[in-house]
Amino acid sequence: MNFSEIKPRIYNYLGVKGIQPSPENDELIFSCYTELDQIVQFNYIYKSYAAPPDFLQKQPYTDFLAGTTGVILCATTIGTVIDRRIGRLTRTDLSRAIVLDACASAYLEARADEYEKTIADDLTYRFCPGYNGSSTDDLKHIFRLLRPEKIGITLNKSNFMLPSKSMAGIIGIGKSAEKHCEDCIMQKKCRYREEGKRCYSSEKTL
Amino acid sequence: MLQLGKNVIVFDGGFGSELERRGLSGGIPEDLNITNPEDIQAIHKAYSCADIASANTFGLNRIKYHGAYTLEEVAKQAIENARASGNKVFVDIGPTGMMLEPLGTLTFDEAYNAFAEIADITKDLADGYIAETFSDLYELKACILALKEHTDKPIFATVTFDSTGRTLTGSTPEIVANTLEGLGVDALGVNCSLGPKELLPVVQRLLSSTTLPVIVQPNRGLPVLENGKTVYKLDIDEFEQYTEKMLEMGVSVIGGCCGTTPDFIQRISRFSGAPVNRPEIEPKTAVNSATILTEIEGVKICGERLNPTGKKALKEALLTENYDYLIDEALKQQEAGADLLDINVGLPQLDEPTVMPLVVRKIQEYTDLPLQIDSSDAGAIEAGVRYANGIPLINSVNGEEEVMAKIFPIAKKYGAVVLGLTMDKNGVPPTAQGRYEIAKRMIARANDFGIPKHKIMIDTLVVTASAEQAMVKETLEALRLVKALGVKTALGVSNVSFGLPNRPLLNRTFLTMAMTCGLNMPILNPLDGEMTGAIKAHAVLSGEDENSEKYIETYKDYTAASAAALAAAKSTEKTAATLSDCVKQGLKNRAEELCEAELQQHDPMYVVNEILIKALEEVGNGYESGKLFLPQLVAAAEAAKQAFAVIGRHLPKDAEPKGKIILATVKGDVHDIGKNIVKVVLESYGYNVIDLGKDVPAEKVVSAYKEHAPIAIGLSALMTTTVKGMEETIAALRSENCKAKIFVGGAVLNAETAQEINADHYTKDALAFAKLLDELCGK
Repeated sequence: MNFSEIKPRIYNYLGVKGIQPSPENDELIFSCYTELDQIVQFNYIYKSYAAPPDFLQKQPYTDFLAGTTGVILCATTIGTVIDRRIGRLTRTDLSRAIVLDACASAYLEARADEYEKTIADDLTYRFCPGYNGSSTDDLKHIFRLLRPEKIGITLNKSNFMLPSKSMAGIIGIGKSAEKHCEDCIMQKKCRYREEGKRCYSSEKTL
Repeated sequence: MLQLGKNVIVFDGGFGSELERRGLSGGIPEDLNITNPEDIQAIHKAYSCADIASANTFGLNRIKYHGAYTLEEVAKQAIENARASGNKVFVDIGPTGMMLEPLGTLTFDEAYNAFAEIADITKDLADGYIAETFSDLYELKACILALKEHTDKPIFATVTFDSTGRTLTGSTPEIVANTLEGLGVDALGVNCSLGPKELLPVVQRLLSSTTLPVIVQPNRGLPVLENGKTVYKLDIDEFEQYTEKMLEMGVSVIGGCCGTTPDFIQRISRFSGAPVNRPEIEPKTAVNSATILTEIEGVKICGERLNPTGKKALKEALLTENYDYLIDEALKQQEAGADLLDINVGLPQLDEPTVMPLVVRKIQEYTDLPLQIDSSDAGAIEAGVRYANGIPLINSVNGEEEVMAKIFPIAKKYGAVVLGLTMDKNGVPPTAQGRYEIAKRMIARANDFGIPKHKIMIDTLVVTASAEQAMVKETLEALRLVKALGVKTALGVSNVSFGLPNRPLLNRTFLTMAMTCGLNMPILNPLDGEMTGAIKAHAVLSGEDENSEKYIETYKDYTAASAAALAAAKSTEKTAATLSDCVKQGLKNRAEELCEAELQQHDPMYVVNEILIKALEEVGNGYESGKLFLPQLVAAAEAAKQAFAVIGRHLPKDAEPKGKIILATVKGDVHDIGKNIVKVVLESYGYNVIDLGKDVPAEKVVSAYKEHAPIAIGLSALMTTTVKGMEETIAALRSENCKAKIFVGGAVLNAETAQEINADHYTKDALAFAKLLDELCGK
């Protein structure tokens, strides 16, 4: 993973206040990124279905999957060592912990995007339970069918995954689609939007 | 009759892929034992070419299984179905699917109980157990202990590795092997993960790290997407070739995982019964955590600072349950280069068997160094060793029969390395020969308990030069003698200088002499740069530090001047001339010194109001206007917090503090970075923060409210699902007529949600929280 490609994403995660990149900030981020690079364990599993499993036969999934020829269930993580490192840093150097946390989130997203390009050419983006009004309860179905435990991902009763840098979702096959704000879990609570910023290309209004 | 370790044994292959092929996937696989017994039996029959069948029980434990039947109903039927293979039947045990503490919320005991329950149900029905597909060594430890304590059947244990050669929780093959062999499984190895080709390096490393039989159950290569379907494509011939290669390397038990079918197992079943061809390996003395293996070779540092003997602040911390102090001590020692950490909680006011495991868990939440469990109480040792993640060191046993009879069984059961002190009921023998004799006796007695020599270390006991000068050289001579027994050695070196002036000089000289006599593990203060420096120098002169690499790395910038200013010598550190600059630049290491300097000139309140608060305001404004970003705000807050600690010491005792704030991440949620940011910022504003941590149940918040009478309570939740826990906590506080203002925050909250769940205030970030508090308090 190339640092310069991922850097804007890290700034995005850190920069709720619209901070401008500076050599000093670059240096801190690069040093965290270097540390991250040595301890991440990127893993990705997926399983594909010609017909969507039952739990996807409802909105908003049916809309998301309209026009696709199949669906992939996927889960990905960068492991627990990074969680433990961030945990330790919250005691010894909290500001570094924050930067490392942002680097880890950006890294996971970027690696997953990159990996998905190797699966097939015509895929939608990852749509994760919780997006656009869907329920995070649907993670349970993904876990039942995909068994992401195999790559060390666990799901707790409150529907969050550990290691904390983990994602699970669905991808449509045979259709391309760009992620937009409408699908996001944050929607009206989004602090980026409050400041007029957008993570995704969409200009749809919520 | 096949003999494990002597003859190759063949396990069956993938079960999930067979279910899928028969159109049975999608539901709860364990329920199929009861709803579709014929189908399950048919799969087992198809695998009858193997020597051992694994029952369809992978997800069968009370934490993971939420099917239609009782655990007992499913387990019994699953074993009966597997009997259709005509082979021995092992119960298949998979992980709980929940993350254990400290990252997750599942306790070690909850995991243990879930596995023990399965063991109880199946112990008279099955021929053995295979714990498989584990990622977390700590969870696997709970599983193995449960099986060992509830059955006497053979236990095989396998974990999954990723392409980096580590488990998903960061354990290397060496760490896995050391831990599982220590816990006394019958065979250990790897399953699932990758294809046989990709697993070869991991298999080689396992074989080089254990004398136990090694089991390998690979996937059918790496999956690929084909026409919208995930398929495994490794050819059966290739699978067979790699299996044969692994058998040549010394593997004892073979089988298959995802994607393998009865054809594959049929093919490799031709190896069944072949003699196992295992090269001999030299066992090593090693302790480990989940991610660090410390081989006791050359000189390794055991940090001694978590032993309250003669340490007033640590005593106080233990008695007041201020575990933060202990964690900080542990972290400091790790940063300073300790290889393992001694933990001793021996205070007459404490119940050691209760406190030891508590401290072990706290310490291993933040450090990943292996631990030395140090106590004279066998109950405390067992409790500590049980909850330590990995293989710890036990300090200690001695030549007294009673002590050995108590401690050796614990060391054996948990696979711990045990440190033997060369003394017995007659005390410490005055001569080296006398101590050597005791060492020999301990090694022989350990052998009776099944403990091999590489699991024993010997401490020839340091005496004080001031009281028993003639005996110092006996300690050293004894080291030389016991080394010849082929064991590793330890000494608590700094005891030598008690009662004499310039103790560091004596300590350092003695340490050097002891290392020359073969000392492997000095127990010392790793923060003492003179001592650790002597170890680094010794490593150069003894040839251990090849090409002096580590030494040069440490001392490359050394000059006499830099040594004098060692504390400030971090070359990258920026300088700040004033306390105000120091806070604004977030230089927490300089805050204390600069605050003291300001206090020479001004009274404490002036420093607070005119310097600290103004600097913080400036930083806060910068943050709000987008000129500074969050890490800088936090660094400034951390620096200000250090300064406030200094001011606290200068204020009169009865000075009015700014008030207490309770913070907690609510039940069900383990995200705490946001809460920690709030903590630091509030502390930098002079508030006294009581941090209850993460996953905090409502009752704990209520009882903390009653105990501390805070002016405000801050609750954090990251997930929409855990906002519910927040609402319940607020309801519980309200029913106790809570007078404190309740603040809520977290990514998914806003003012509207805060109102819905009956909170008093929502603030969007830490700074807003601190400012609103100041406003409410009229400051």
